[in-house]
Amino acid sequence: MAEGRNRARIQRFGSHLSGMIMPNIGAFIAWGLITALFIPAGWLPYEPLAALVGPMIIYLLPLLIGFTGGRLVYDFRGGVLGATATMGVIVGSDIPMFLGAMIMGPLAGYLMKKIDQLFLDKIRAGFEMLYNTFSAGILGATLAGIAVLGIGPIVNSLVNSLANGVEFTVNNGLLPLASIVIEPAKILFLNNAINHGFLSPLGVEQAATAGKSILFLLETNPGPGLGILLAFTVFGKGISKSSAPGAIIIQFLGGIHEIYFPFVLMKPLLVLAVIGGGMSGVFTFVLLDAGLVATPAPGSIFALLALTPQGNYVGVVLGVAVAAAVSFTIASIILKTTKDVEEDLTVATGKMEEMKGKKSSASEFLTPGAATTSDGDVLHEAGAVTSTPGVKATEDVRRVVFACDAGMGSSAMGASILKNKFKKENIDIPVTNTAISQLPEDADIVVTHKDLTPRAKEKLPQAEHISVENFMNSPEYDKLTQRLKK
Amino acid sequence: MAKAVLDRENIKLNVSIATMEEGIRFTGGILVANGYVDAGYIDKMLEREEMASTFMGNSLAIPHGTEDAKANVLQTGISVVTVPEGVDFGGGNIAKILIGIAGKNNEHLDILSNIAIVCSDEENIEKILNARTEEEIMDLFSDVG
Repeated sequence: MAEGRNRARIQRFGSHLSGMIMPNIGAFIAWGLITALFIPAGWLPYEPLAALVGPMIIYLLPLLIGFTGGRLVYDFRGGVLGATATMGVIVGSDIPMFLGAMIMGPLAGYLMKKIDQLFLDKIRAGFEMLYNTFSAGILGATLAGIAVLGIGPIVNSLVNSLANGVEFTVNNGLLPLASIVIEPAKILFLNNAINHGFLSPLGVEQAATAGKSILFLLETNPGPGLGILLAFTVFGKGISKSSAPGAIIIQFLGGIHEIYFPFVLMKPLLVLAVIGGGMSGVFTFVLLDAGLVATPAPGSIFALLALTPQGNYVGVVLGVAVAAAVSFTIASIILKTTKDVEEDLTVATGKMEEMKGKKSSASEFLTPGAATTSDGDVLHEAGAVTSTPGVKATEDVRRVVFACDAGMGSSAMGASILKNKFKKENIDIPVTNTAISQLPEDADIVVTHKDLTPRAKEKLPQAEHISVENFMNSPEYDKLTQRLKK
Repeated sequence: MAKAVLDRENIKLNVSIATMEEGIRFTGGILVANGYVDAGYIDKMLEREEMASTFMGNSLAIPHGTEDAKANVLQTGISVVTVPEGVDFGGGNIAKILIGIAGKNNEHLDILSNIAIVCSDEENIEKILNARTEEEIMDLFSDVG
């Protein structure tokens, strides 16, 4: 429980970080392109345009992050304060202040919000404008001042020690070990926290001086995921085998890595394959001194190649290929030697969604695939043959009832959605909703929120009970629809 | 003249909300301001939330009054509030779309079912959150109005 809460907290933190970075990726790429083209080591060295590189990374990018961070907390007013306060850390430091911006932006927005809450309703009519401009002005000036003197230097030394740590691992050839952390963390959806919160800010600094950084390749390498999906394409069974090739297109070409996470969660041992792939990929990058000019987002092979500087193509391509090959080999061995019953991909997808805390856009691709294969028949047979208490055979289902506490809100919504799904598949079984206390005797299947299922079971023990956690979009709805389809 | 169930005025986009209570008061406040319910309805909404969460999944919460709040409802109406940063609706459930509901004579069941079908589609959730104008929301819920 505590572990889950911590994970949720870290994920929220990660999504907050990526919420500050993602909207500004366009500016990062613009900077990356200018850098790749016009710096002395670039494709078309041209000093007048290379002059953009410094000011953009020192001022533009941190200010954008600070603004976005403040705006996340307190709209435009927060954004303006965030950017103003970020200016303080920029001036108070001699390195690009990404981390500083990520701290000052939201902090400034938060303080403005608090101050407004304190004073806003005490302002006399007619003075709002005066209050609004001057409160923001005073706070902005104060924060910027504090940041120059205090926070800038602190963050500066923090970033320096992080950078030294990274430099140490790079210089001692230890960088491949980073994959031991990065690959499993990706699958727990900490990818954005690691990539945008840590690796890309440090990478940008390296790229500013060296024109490229290997750090951009650590998390974004699509090779390990590709290896997993290839292994499933060749050695997988059933649904996972049939959906893997499509997933490759989405993952490798589209750069949406999360599509392969369910495949790994389905067989957790496969995490060894992604770690192995990641490590060998990084090792290859190190060996061939490969790097990128900016963070490829998303981690598609096209994005990687577009941001590869001159003379690094061999290293980048080989690193991706080696990672895929190693990951494929290990995954194939695991898939061939473990004989246990393969967990249903839809179950694993559900598990992934639980971990992520929301429905994944990628899983929409996975679940319909699950629904159209032989899966429905297998379930149907199981229901008919065993007739275990709990699961009703299709022909025995004459009425489905949604139940909630009062029978007014959530059950009505759930019932509408299922009714709609049944209608689309021409399933002629009535779906109604009610309060648990009024569950009708002749209900064959009762759907309730998982917290209420015990009560519903007590009320109607002979019925089949289905628990859902998400009334709007439960995977159970599609499973039931497939099962009852003639 | 009866007002439309969902009016342009009932929609507020990109609102920043800190707490669940603030969210319920805001959604209910729209219904009060536009004459669908009297001010007592908001207290009933808070009371209802105490009994059981109105968080529905898919980032959607549908705050509404208790059974005995019917007396506070002047006419059926819904308000739509988008909170792109999300607000915790208890138990780590983050709601980004708040739909305040006031129903009279079970008229609200039709509305609910429309909302449910629209919001069960993840794509529509995205569309709602990305809406720039009230009209876009009106179009998405067109069967409701």
